Amino acid sequence: MNESLLFLIPLLPLLCAVLNMFFGMRLPRLFAETMAVTGVAGAFVLTLLFWGQGGGEGTRAVLFSWLSSGSLEVSFALNFDRLAAPMTLMVTGVATLIHLYAVGYMHGEDDYARFYSLLNLFVFAMLMIVLADNLLVLFLGWEGVGLCSYGLIGFWYRKLENAKAGTKAFLVTRVGDVFLGIALLWLFTLTGTLSISAINAQAATISPGVVIALSLLLLLGACGKSAQLPLMTWLADAMAGPTPVSALIHAATMVTAGVYLLCRFFPLVSLSAVAMTAITAIGALTAIYAATCAMAQREIKRVLAYSTMSQVGYMFMAVGAGTVAGAMFHLLTHAFFKAVLFMAAGCVIHLADNENDIFKMGGLARRGPPELFWVFLAGAVCLAGLPLTGGFFSKDGILLALFSHPDPVYRVFWLIGVVTALLTAFYTFRLVYLVFAGEYRGAGHPHAIPLLMRWPLWPLALLGLGGGLLNLPAFVGGGEALHHWYGTLAGLEVDASQEVEWMLVGLAAALTGGGWFAARWRYRSYRPPLDNAVSRFLLSGWRADALVDCLFVRPFAAMARFCSTGCDRTLFDGTINGLGRLATSWSNLLVLLTTGRLTSYLSAFAWGFLVLLGWFLLKLVNGGGHG
Amino acid sequence: MATMIFYILGFILLAATLMCITRRNPVHAVVYLVAGFFALALMFYLLGAPLVAAWEVIVYAGAIMVLFLFIIMMLGLAPQEVPPGPGWQRWLPLALLSASLMICTLLLVLQDPAAGQEIGDFYLAPQALGEALFGRYALAVEIVSFQLLFATIGAFLLGRPLPKGEGP
Amino acid sequence: MTIPFGHALAFAGALFVLGLSCVLIRRQIMMILIGVEIMLNAASLAFVAASAYWRQPDGQVFVLLLMAITAAEVAVALAMVVYLWRRKRTLVADEFNGMHG
Repeated sequence: MNESLLFLIPLLPLLCAVLNMFFGMRLPRLFAETMAVTGVAGAFVLTLLFWGQGGGEGTRAVLFSWLSSGSLEVSFALNFDRLAAPMTLMVTGVATLIHLYAVGYMHGEDDYARFYSLLNLFVFAMLMIVLADNLLVLFLGWEGVGLCSYGLIGFWYRKLENAKAGTKAFLVTRVGDVFLGIALLWLFTLTGTLSISAINAQAATISPGVVIALSLLLLLGACGKSAQLPLMTWLADAMAGPTPVSALIHAATMVTAGVYLLCRFFPLVSLSAVAMTAITAIGALTAIYAATCAMAQREIKRVLAYSTMSQVGYMFMAVGAGTVAGAMFHLLTHAFFKAVLFMAAGCVIHLADNENDIFKMGGLARRGPPELFWVFLAGAVCLAGLPLTGGFFSKDGILLALFSHPDPVYRVFWLIGVVTALLTAFYTFRLVYLVFAGEYRGAGHPHAIPLLMRWPLWPLALLGLGGGLLNLPAFVGGGEALHHWYGTLAGLEVDASQEVEWMLVGLAAALTGGGWFAARWRYRSYRPPLDNAVSRFLLSGWRADALVDCLFVRPFAAMARFCSTGCDRTLFDGTINGLGRLATSWSNLLVLLTTGRLTSYLSAFAWGFLVLLGWFLLKLVNGGGHG
Repeated sequence: MATMIFYILGFILLAATLMCITRRNPVHAVVYLVAGFFALALMFYLLGAPLVAAWEVIVYAGAIMVLFLFIIMMLGLAPQEVPPGPGWQRWLPLALLSASLMICTLLLVLQDPAAGQEIGDFYLAPQALGEALFGRYALAVEIVSFQLLFATIGAFLLGRPLPKGEGP
Repeated sequence: MTIPFGHALAFAGALFVLGLSCVLIRRQIMMILIGVEIMLNAASLAFVAASAYWRQPDGQVFVLLLMAITAAEVAVALAMVVYLWRRKRTLVADEFNGMHG
């Protein structure tokens, strides 16, 4: 196939986005919805058709020369290689299913054209990130996903907290984008090119200190989009957006963009052990932080948000441990089961009459369609890492890589990962029991769930459960398909003996079981939520928002107040107004001279005459001095 | 002899003027001024200007001051009770001003180098004056006559009776 | 008769300042006009003295023109005084302050 047709993959969603933007409200609703779904579905079909071209060295397609100035030659180019192909397939496939779900979910919404165009635009931007051949196209997509995420999180902007959530997401990820921008510029000055493959090829020529700095900058940029420490405060509030948005952006695509960035720059980043340790450390700390917060959350979507944060931390740990294949494996399985969890959560919220609080739900297994419970459970067991599910294999792969890493520090990270796995199982089953078991504790009437909201769940659930087949490890007899697909891009080889692998498998199974039993013991029969200092601390995300507010927002606001009130109003306006007042008061003084009375004017004459005479006298006296 | 008369006349002139400017009754002021003008006319004569002296009496004292009296009496300005003024706080700065003006003027005038020169005997006959007036200054005479015409018309216009309510 | 020129001028100057003080100190318009007359006469005296000093007729010619002008000016001024009287029935100069700012 002609390689420039590769551009149709991102351009189809873009085209449908633009059409929906301009004509969506004027055309019948079905037309707008069909256009939105077709855009993404078409991209998915095209990716399948192009699949073969992604193997081997990949395919590069150039559309036009974008910037050409001096030594800077940047073209609008796409690179469909082994790393990009599975990711593109996942993004377009999951996006198609979520678009179908969204058609059902948003059927009561009047502002649909804006929604569908933003959703399609988001897919376009994400594909730009995935398929980018050079840093400028990647940055375009990076900013684009940030913009669309802002627009979609704050979709129901008439409620102020939704708008604020969107702004918060945008601003926090922007901080990460600054670091990415610095890295971009620095890489250009070092290597003279913005092409990612060229930079990776020249990576070995960069001095070690600079490599560490660049890797840390890239890491911070990734942290912004992937909601890792320290730029993670936006993800929980981002649940203010519609559920399809949460499923697409905050489960499958945008939050994984950071992981993808690090995987793309793996040849550069892996040169420095310090950077790799930093990546793993951030991933580990975020994973356990988010898992503890998820244990205390009361809203169903916030639990899933913190869970996403935690799982993306696992992906970061995998990249830091050196296994790109492991990170991407977990990325793919996570996309499937987290998307299904979010979508099922949307159905659950519908059932509970738009109630988000899980302590006001319960017994929904009987109140709604029975399949809802099963798909939710499918996603939940994947998340918890029940043996033989997709989530189990991917998580196990990561823990194996951490355990068998030559650097002993990684044992600590492995331990953190193990504890997090236990916590993950616990909060997952807590969620399941509180939502589905027992009696219904709320007061609402269930809404009917449209077919379009139920059917897309099944493919994703099956993919999540069966996802292990993507990269079945060798010790259970699998072919490690994904690993072999990546080939040289797969990162460092994991060197572990069979005994270690089986031991870890057993440990993982024990953790899952342990978490399940703990949750079952505590939540099977309903108990009201704890309200002590610990739970409040965890509920607020370790008071991260308060910390950010104290460290950054307040000083900034104080500076802004100083500039506006102190400098601008007091100093500048005061000076100008003061000058005006001075002029006015002078003129008021002068006005006193115009009395309108003849006598005062005559007096003025006389005084002037006196001055004149006095001057003559003075001249006389001085003149008489020398002559 | 003439010198002494000149100084006496000067003194009378200044005294009469001083009396004039301090009278409350305008008629008294005018009368004192007329007396002063008589002294002034004699001073003119002593300075060799007999025609100017005559004119001073005829025109100034006889016409202009009489006109003043006409108006004072027509409007009934005397004896008018002027309401008490602001008192000496108002006069003081002006009096000081006048005093200092006087001192300055006298100083300046008297120290001029030409001031010491003597005015010698001088007498200008009316004929010589007429020759100068209608000879070299004929144009000025014509212009001044225009001026008198304007003044007449102006005075006539201004003095018209007011229509009911508003001015002209 | 020999008089120093300066003395004659000094008389004129003193007379002028007296007229000026009459203008400044008196509040009635009539008295102000009389002060103006005094000042004009002081100028006449100066002119005549100068004419005698320089032994020229020009000073005296100017005194005549001065008197003519004064007559014209007094006529118009007094007509205005009559007019003002008819407007406000008072001749205090301070009363006419309609041009105040």
